[in-house]
Amino acid sequence: MLKLAFTVVIGLVGAALLHLVIILALPHFTGLDAYTRVTAKGDPQRFYILGEKPDETGLADSDPYVQAAVCPFDIGDLPVRLQARGAVPFWSLVIYDSSSNEVFSMNDRTSAGGALDVLVASPVQLTTLRKALPEALEQSILVEMPRAEGYAVVRALAPRKSLEDAAHAFLAGASCEEFSSP
Amino acid sequence: MKIAANLFRVPLYVALALLIAFGGGIMATLYALNASSGFGAIRLGAWEAFPRAQTADADPYAKSHRARAGQLLLGTAEGLRFTATQDDSGQPLSTACRYEITGQTPPARLWTLYVTDRNGNAIEPRPGLPVGLNSWVVARHPDSSFTIAIGRGAEPGNWLPLPDGEQPVALALTLFDTPTAGSSGLIDLSMPGLRRVGCGRA
Repeated sequence: MLKLAFTVVIGLVGAALLHLVIILALPHFTGLDAYTRVTAKGDPQRFYILGEKPDETGLADSDPYVQAAVCPFDIGDLPVRLQARGAVPFWSLVIYDSSSNEVFSMNDRTSAGGALDVLVASPVQLTTLRKALPEALEQSILVEMPRAEGYAVVRALAPRKSLEDAAHAFLAGASCEEFSSP
Repeated sequence: MKIAANLFRVPLYVALALLIAFGGGIMATLYALNASSGFGAIRLGAWEAFPRAQTADADPYAKSHRARAGQLLLGTAEGLRFTATQDDSGQPLSTACRYEITGQTPPARLWTLYVTDRNGNAIEPRPGLPVGLNSWVVARHPDSSFTIAIGRGAEPGNWLPLPDGEQPVALALTLFDTPTAGSSGLIDLSMPGLRRVGCGRA
C-alpha cells in the first residue's frame, strides 16, 4: 500500500514538472503563434489587410467596426518606416517582436498631426541616425527595437458604414518600407 | 516466489508513475490553457479583460495561451477588450436567452460591442441585421447611460441580435484609447451590468 502511495506521489510530482516544462516551452514551438501566422502572409515589408473571417493563415480582425492590416518586417539590414495618412475617426498602431511581446503602441491622438509616421530601428541604427537626423525623419517617431524581427498591426475604426471606405483607404495607403538615409 | 512477484510489481509501479506523470501533466496543461488566458485578469461584474496579456510581463500561462491562440492582441495605447461569457448571476450566455446591458462604460474614446463564439470569432447575424453596436450609434438616456437589449427577437431601442440555434456565446466589448488599459487598479471602474431577462418564450 505504501509503495502504491509512493508511486502516485512520484507520478504527481512528475506531472507537475511536465506541466511546468510544457507551459514554459510551449511559446517557442506551437507554430500557431501570431508571428508565424503573420510571416505566412507573404513577403515582409508590406501591409496585408485582414478580412473579417480567418483566412488560410488563421488571422482575422473579428471586430465588425475595425479594419486591420499587418506587416511582417525585419530590421536586420535597414530600419523600417511605417507611414499612413487619412481621415478616420480612430487609428492605432502596435509593434510586436517575434515573440509577440508589445514593443510600442500608439493611436492617432499620440501622433504628430494625426498622421502615422514611425521609424523602427535597432539600437545601433538609431544611434547612427540620431548623429545626423535626416530631414525626412524630423516628424517621425523613432522606435527602438531590441530584436530584428517583428510585425506591426495598424487598425482603423469605422463606427458607421459610410466611414468604411475611409478606413479601407487608410490601410490600403499604409506603407511599411525599408528606410535608407540619403 | 517473492522475488518473482517483485519482478513484476516494480515495472508496474514505474509504469503507473509514468502514466500519472504524462497523463496528468498533459491533461493539466491542456485544461489550464483552455480554461483561461492566464493570470492578471481584471474582472468587473460579468466582464473580464487581460490588460497585460500582450506584454513581455505576461505570466507564462498567458504567453502559452497567446502562442496557441495566435490572435493579434490590442496594444496598451490601442485599447482593451472585455469579454463576457456569463451574465451577472454567473449563468453562461446562451442564444436561447434574452439579456439586457445597462449602465456606462469606463472612459474611452470609442467602444464596440459584438457577439462572438467561445473562441472569440465574431458570429455574423442573419443578413440585414445589425452586426454590433458602438458608442457612435448607441441611443443613450439623458444621463448618457444606455440600455441594450440582446436576444434573437427584435426589440425597440438598442438591439443586438443573437444568432439562431442554441449555442453558447460570448460578448466582446472593446474600449479604444482608454486609461483602463494602463490601469493600476486605482481608478474606480464600472462596467455596464449584464442581466438575463428570460429564456425561451418566457
